[in-house]
Amino acid sequence: MYGGVISDLVRLYSYMRDDRRSYLTGAVCLLGTNACALLIPWLLKLAVESLQKPTTPHHSPAWYGGLIIAAAVLHGTIRIFSRTTLLHAARRIEYLIRDDLYARLLALDLPFFTKERTGDLMSRFANDLTNVRMLLGFGVLNIINTVVIYLAALALMIRISPLLTLCAILPFPAMILVVKRLSASMFRRSKRAQEELARLTSVVEENVSAAAVIKAYCREEAAIDTFAEASGRYMASNMRIAQLRGLMIPVMAATGALGTLIVLIYGGQQVTQRLITLGDFVAFNGYLTMLIWPTIVFGWILNLMQRGAASMSRLNEVLAAEATVTEAENPTTAADIRGEIQLTRLSFSYSVEPLLSDLTLTIPAGSRLGIVGPIGAGKSTLVRLLARLYPVADGMILIDGIDINRLALRQLRELVGFVPQESFLFSRSLRANIAFGRDDADDSAVEAAARLASLDGDVARFPDGYATLVGERGITLSGGQKQRAAIARALLKDPAILILDDPLSAVDARTEEEILRSLAGYYGQRTVIIVSHRLSALRECDRIVVLEEGKIVEQGNHERLLALDGRYAAIHREQQLRQEIEGY
Amino acid sequence: MHFGGIYEDEIVGKAYDRALMFRFARYLRPYRWQVIGTLCLLPLTTAAKLAQPWLIKLAIDNHIVTGNLAGLPAMAAWFLLLILADSLVSFLQVWLLQYLGQRVMQDIRLELFSHVQRLSTSFFDRTPTGSLVTRLTSDVEVLGEMFAAGIITVVGDVMLLAGIVGVMVWMNLRLSLVTFTVLPFLIWVAFAFRRRMRTAFRQVRARLSNLNTFLAESIGGMAVVQLFNRQAAEQNEFRRLNAEYRDANLPVITWDAALYAAVEALSSIAVGLLVWYGGGEIVRGALTFGALVAFIQYIEKFFAPIRDLSAKYSVMQGAMAALERLFNLLDTSELLPEAPPATMTIPARPASVIEFNGVWFAYKEEEYVLKGVDLTLRRGETVALVGETGGGKTTVTRLLSRLYDVSRGSISLDGVDLRRIPLWELRRRIGVVLQEPYLFTGTIADNICLGDDTVRPRVREAAALVGADRFIDRLGSGYGEAVRERGNNFSAGERQLISFARAVAFDPEILVLDEATASVDTTSERLIQEGLKGLMAGRTTLVVAHRLSTIRDADRIAVIHRGEKVEEGRHEELIARQGLYYRLYQLQFKDN
Repeated sequence: MYGGVISDLVRLYSYMRDDRRSYLTGAVCLLGTNACALLIPWLLKLAVESLQKPTTPHHSPAWYGGLIIAAAVLHGTIRIFSRTTLLHAARRIEYLIRDDLYARLLALDLPFFTKERTGDLMSRFANDLTNVRMLLGFGVLNIINTVVIYLAALALMIRISPLLTLCAILPFPAMILVVKRLSASMFRRSKRAQEELARLTSVVEENVSAAAVIKAYCREEAAIDTFAEASGRYMASNMRIAQLRGLMIPVMAATGALGTLIVLIYGGQQVTQRLITLGDFVAFNGYLTMLIWPTIVFGWILNLMQRGAASMSRLNEVLAAEATVTEAENPTTAADIRGEIQLTRLSFSYSVEPLLSDLTLTIPAGSRLGIVGPIGAGKSTLVRLLARLYPVADGMILIDGIDINRLALRQLRELVGFVPQESFLFSRSLRANIAFGRDDADDSAVEAAARLASLDGDVARFPDGYATLVGERGITLSGGQKQRAAIARALLKDPAILILDDPLSAVDARTEEEILRSLAGYYGQRTVIIVSHRLSALRECDRIVVLEEGKIVEQGNHERLLALDGRYAAIHREQQLRQEIEGY
Repeated sequence: MHFGGIYEDEIVGKAYDRALMFRFARYLRPYRWQVIGTLCLLPLTTAAKLAQPWLIKLAIDNHIVTGNLAGLPAMAAWFLLLILADSLVSFLQVWLLQYLGQRVMQDIRLELFSHVQRLSTSFFDRTPTGSLVTRLTSDVEVLGEMFAAGIITVVGDVMLLAGIVGVMVWMNLRLSLVTFTVLPFLIWVAFAFRRRMRTAFRQVRARLSNLNTFLAESIGGMAVVQLFNRQAAEQNEFRRLNAEYRDANLPVITWDAALYAAVEALSSIAVGLLVWYGGGEIVRGALTFGALVAFIQYIEKFFAPIRDLSAKYSVMQGAMAALERLFNLLDTSELLPEAPPATMTIPARPASVIEFNGVWFAYKEEEYVLKGVDLTLRRGETVALVGETGGGKTTVTRLLSRLYDVSRGSISLDGVDLRRIPLWELRRRIGVVLQEPYLFTGTIADNICLGDDTVRPRVREAAALVGADRFIDRLGSGYGEAVRERGNNFSAGERQLISFARAVAFDPEILVLDEATASVDTTSERLIQEGLKGLMAGRTTLVVAHRLSTIRDADRIAVIHRGEKVEEGRHEELIARQGLYYRLYQLQFKDN
């Protein structure tokens, strides 16, 4: 376990090393600022001593006052630098880690994003990164501060009176012990409170999601009782924390005051016995006060380090995550791909159940292939494999005779224009969304793509045209508009292979046919693969395959498949019925 | 490069909003004695803190400097007493404050939850679960922080500051005046800080929100990014937003450091001024050493609360924003309208006829899902609703259980409009089985009786009636078996049987049933069919049918197409008619 903590912190250290100048500067500034801070009680001591013996020619009080003010100004000025240097460095490193994390996400594949929940990833970016930053900034600052102040103040105190020092810090170990014990129970009670909060949260979630059930059975009062019970338990657990918090502050204040008390009695005695001067007494009190805060902070830093290390290990999980879809060692880049696709004994599975088993199929360059089949037949899996969104591990996919695993990923994805089933648009302008694959596309190209996808008419109705913002903060597009925008985006790429995964499910059959007809003019020499649940969309295909449970059960063109009177013909009849019902 | 996405500039509220605070103060009323108690403790802690340096002064002047050690132990005893008193009072104060905070949070949570429970179904359709959970948990939590670190502690701080000024002036007016020449600077620094911080904080939050939006979207659309080879461009855009966020934070750090350093420096400068002027006073005999030391300690205590100003500022800012969101939720009033009690009628039990008269309904304005549906159910009849998805079948059932009110037309029980029947009476008489059975965490028994102890004795009987007892009896703890989140430790079929048992346990005279479309294995299918028989026996039933057995057994079938009832009759009649039902039957039921 400790090995893990250390290796997590080692990674952090390498980030710090790259910014070591800031950390060094910060440390030096901290030394300076603490030196000034430590100087002030010493100056007070000298001032008091000189005041006590006004007969001997010493410096005037104004001289010491002036020196203290000078030290204060210097102390403040350097303090600004020490804090900004270290805390800025922490922000910069946070920025770098965040950048690295994002870079890692960009390199990870669909299996990773299917497994990880967005919320969990977001929380790593937010909470864990914050914990790490706290460690890098305030943590480091306080560690250096504590060490410096402890060493210096103790040395100066010992110089004044070793015995008095020993007596004065006598309560400190007790305080550390008490704080440690309090923190330990605090930790337990906080954990308990967290559990209660989680319970409360799930009660809320459950009740909100089940609002219909609760209303239907008139159980509102019972739901309120359940909530009140959970809420009450959460409150009780928080009250127990409150008790500890209530203890913590007085314990700390009292320990400091106890030290002062000891100094008052024992130090006072030493002053009257002329073992130390009144000036020593005043300075000693000053140093003692300076020690209280770092002692309190000590427990907090330990906590911060633990949390920081735990968070770093969660970040490392992402940073070290490996994609299953990876670039080949010596990737091939082929010139002039025609777009012939060959599947050889292709199988795929997530877990135990195969999603695709033993598919063999040749799609000639420039031909159109239709894929049809029930939900869960493996249609989307197949086309996703063609774009290597999933790893091709069992069997082979060849494009123009080249194994796609050997083809440079970049080239493969340039070759393939893919319109996914769920059209995902970004919260940007419509133009930026359509030109997503082609930064260099000019307005006329964007408009041409939109026209091909039959989106131009809709855009004309938007007040800002192609500059219209899409998504949460812009206008909400209808399902059909989104799908056509996603098609336009793929068309603009000018791909050799166009894959349409049920691209028009959100529009009615007639509109779909119109759009597909307009698209047909664009196909040209491209290899086109269309997945659709409507046979009308596939009628023009050179070949149609019927997938069922990951296997090809029928294939041929529309007429041949109808003549076969098998699955395809059954689906065809069903759809005719559906059409009749729609038109009823 | 910039993608032209404009992100919302999140509005960050003020750190103090009088209207919000006034409204919030109402929640303190039940605890006025605790509030008064806390406020009463404040002068005590203030006095204890003020007395400590004073005692040091006395000790130095009367004993240490004069060498008269005889009185020192007594002094020390006083000091010790003060420390103990201070600790005790501080403990009481912190504890009371937290107690108060927790109580108020509890009250607000309960008020919010009860309020949300009363809101109509349409509110839940509109509002994402996550946002309600946030309101009830984290937003309320932020208020707790206000108690721990905010408003009342500030009152204590102000009192201490005033006390220190008072004592210092009383001890030595001129010396105090000299010392407090730093105050105008302090005030200037604090104001300058507040002004800059407000804009800086706003920028930080706005940029963080941009960054998070981008990130969440990126994760969601990663496949698209990769398919279009856009990794480099996205990385650049992320880097830009990331850098913007970092850069927005830097001035906050600098200003915070400046405030911190300025406060520290000013407190030391005050000490310097003390030595400068006070030294002369000592030489002139106008000031004692003890007073000088006490002054120095007072100054330290004076500056301490000002140091964490920025932390308090952001806590208060957060609390105000949270209060605003909470009050907004409390002000939402999407309730089903209740008729005046005088016009309320309770139809005879059991009702002999349910009638839909020209029912129109729209979830969204003017987008009618139902367009003039007429339907009659006589006592004990089973009527099946059949039609395409999205045709309006489920809406019909929702209107009967009055999850929504009709837009036009009426639904009546024995001629009494649903809106004139008390809601609790209506819902007691109508049992609802949803398409997706919803199970709560708890035991199976809890799920069947929904925690209603008057229903609990009927749990076993109900389970037996729908045939759920067979699988429940086989479980290790039987009816006490734990149901995990959303019932995911039970199969789809078992979940349905439990929800059937739930409906039966409440023994409704009318049953509204939305059959699940999800296909189950044949054994479960048989169990469910038997369960349905037990469920529907002797009850007037309106069922959205997905099962062949259900439509065959139904007394009548109503075909709902595009919000209208287009055909009605028995299965054989409708088949013979060769109309829409005939086609739907072939499409939806024949292969099952």
